[in-house]
Amino acid sequence: MTVQEIDQRIRSRLVIKYNPRSFIVFLLLFPACAWMAFFYITPIAMLVYNSLAEDGLSILSKTVANPVYRSVFATTLEIGAASTLGCLLLGYPVAYALTVSRGALRGILLIIVGLPYWLDYVVRSFSWMVLLGQRGLINNFLLYIGVIDKPIQIMYTFLSVCIGMVQILLPIMILTLFAAMLRIDRRLMTAAAIHGAPPWKAFRTVFFPLSLPGVYAASLLVFISSLGFYITSALLGSPKESMISQSITLLAATLLKWSDASALSLVLLAITMAIVIVYDRVFSIDDLWGGKDA
Amino acid sequence: MKAVDDVSLRVAPGSFVSLLGPSGSGKTTTLNLIAGFITPTSGDLLIDGVSVSAIPPHKRNIGMVFQAYALFPHMTVSQNVGYPLKMRTKLSATERQDRIVEALKLVRLAGLADRFPAQLSGGQQQRVAMARALVSSPRLLLMDEPLGALDKGLREDLQLEIKEIHSKLGSTIIYVTHDQTEALTMSDFLVVMRNAKIEQIGPPQAVYENPDSVFVASFLGTANLLPLGVVGMSADRLTGRLANGEMITIPTQSASSFSSGDAACLLIRPEDVKLSPCNSGKGLSPGLRAKLVDTMFHGDHSRVTLDLAGAKFTVQLHPAQIAEFNGSGDVFISWSAERARLIPADR
Repeated sequence: MTVQEIDQRIRSRLVIKYNPRSFIVFLLLFPACAWMAFFYITPIAMLVYNSLAEDGLSILSKTVANPVYRSVFATTLEIGAASTLGCLLLGYPVAYALTVSRGALRGILLIIVGLPYWLDYVVRSFSWMVLLGQRGLINNFLLYIGVIDKPIQIMYTFLSVCIGMVQILLPIMILTLFAAMLRIDRRLMTAAAIHGAPPWKAFRTVFFPLSLPGVYAASLLVFISSLGFYITSALLGSPKESMISQSITLLAATLLKWSDASALSLVLLAITMAIVIVYDRVFSIDDLWGGKDA
Repeated sequence: MKAVDDVSLRVAPGSFVSLLGPSGSGKTTTLNLIAGFITPTSGDLLIDGVSVSAIPPHKRNIGMVFQAYALFPHMTVSQNVGYPLKMRTKLSATERQDRIVEALKLVRLAGLADRFPAQLSGGQQQRVAMARALVSSPRLLLMDEPLGALDKGLREDLQLEIKEIHSKLGSTIIYVTHDQTEALTMSDFLVVMRNAKIEQIGPPQAVYENPDSVFVASFLGTANLLPLGVVGMSADRLTGRLANGEMITIPTQSASSFSSGDAACLLIRPEDVKLSPCNSGKGLSPGLRAKLVDTMFHGDHSRVTLDLAGAKFTVQLHPAQIAEFNGSGDVFISWSAERARLIPADR
């Protein structure tokens, strides 16, 4: 290879050639990116600035050390984990049913899954109070059939918060799982059947393992979404079930402690990111199978 | 609409049977009926004399190779191959391992047991699929266009290997393909299908040489079909009028199955035709005059396209024979009478 050829090679690598296709991609991305930059990145940057402006990093360590915040964080993670598990247990069979259904039936099922979104979740949270309250439907029924002799406490407990959150998050879980399950080649189940697997065993040995990457992705999405919940825990929970967003609102809107609120938000952001990173390390196993579409 | 209609087929144990037909002819549906993925609305299916119509696929003890391989992507090669053993047998892990190794040896993949399917080439994946299908020694192996996705060289290698494996194992193979060369070279028996029905059944050579219909004649290999109006016949001769009005008398065994006024086709295979310069060929019978249009070199043979009374006529020659016919012009064609066939024109 001559010097000129080497030079040519280096040049061709350094110069980014004008490519009309990539220009179009840039044009298509620009409006959304600009919008996100201004309305998402900017406020977060200001948030970081606010929390660090007064006392620097010490406000963060103070926030982390505060036992009240610690316990609120723990509650938030617990409620999130429990709701995610609930969504998964209820959502997996529905997503599977959607996957095996065809035509009109699938369309109807999808509408039913999306139906709750037609009603605002504040309204839905209020409606749970009618069902779960001391004089609510469940207590009245249990009293009537004589299982209990005085009303039991369902409202304003960990359980009521989780029930409400599962109800709100379930469609996300189902639709994400459904999208993942659709990518599983149904012919594999046929192959399992002809090679001796009864339906349940074919599901257990072929479909279920192949659906796991979808399960991990959907669970992560639901869990992350749950961490930011505010109205549901405020309406259906007691102060004991306070979630981190409630504390942030309290600090910012009522107590006007802006830097504390910012610091708490920052810690929430950091925890969320840490969870995503660790989770990705642990469950990123679809490379092993040669990519998502293998 | 019926996907398969009135398909009656008896397959001898240990034979290699090909279902051949264009797409939509019902061959894959027939295979799926045998596998049990589809339940027939009427009729019955017997394996070893026992009706299996009511038996679900997983209890039929059939091995199957799919066109798209359908290997389990989350399992290694040896887990894939061991799957039927795990589902169907109570073998211990070591016995299972022995059978897996044996099956992988048979398909020449011994070294790749721990790979995942995505790490293999198409041909290797097809071999794994084959090993999986035969590892539990099923009586019946179904193959649904197993080589359809592979390139030509690899396809020919694997055709040979499948034949070898078949003769080693002795299990019955039902093989679906739309590739007539594949069907001709591999099978003991050929089932030509068309429009959800069986068109013709027989050993490949018999079907190729004695097609019952214009469809079978033109679907297998290249066929020159000269339309003929039957004018008269005797015990072993038939006289007909060609499209251009020329009369021709052909020696034939099947003259009795025609009557005067019938539309028939004279089938002459390109490899059975003798070509001679126009002046020298006079008097050869049966023979016809034609116009040379084009010659094409195919390596081991050459194909000459002729214009015979306005219709295309193909002749296959050894490349060395082509020299005397360079350019265009009139030629004389003749053929061995006992190789030509008279078949009824398409209904």
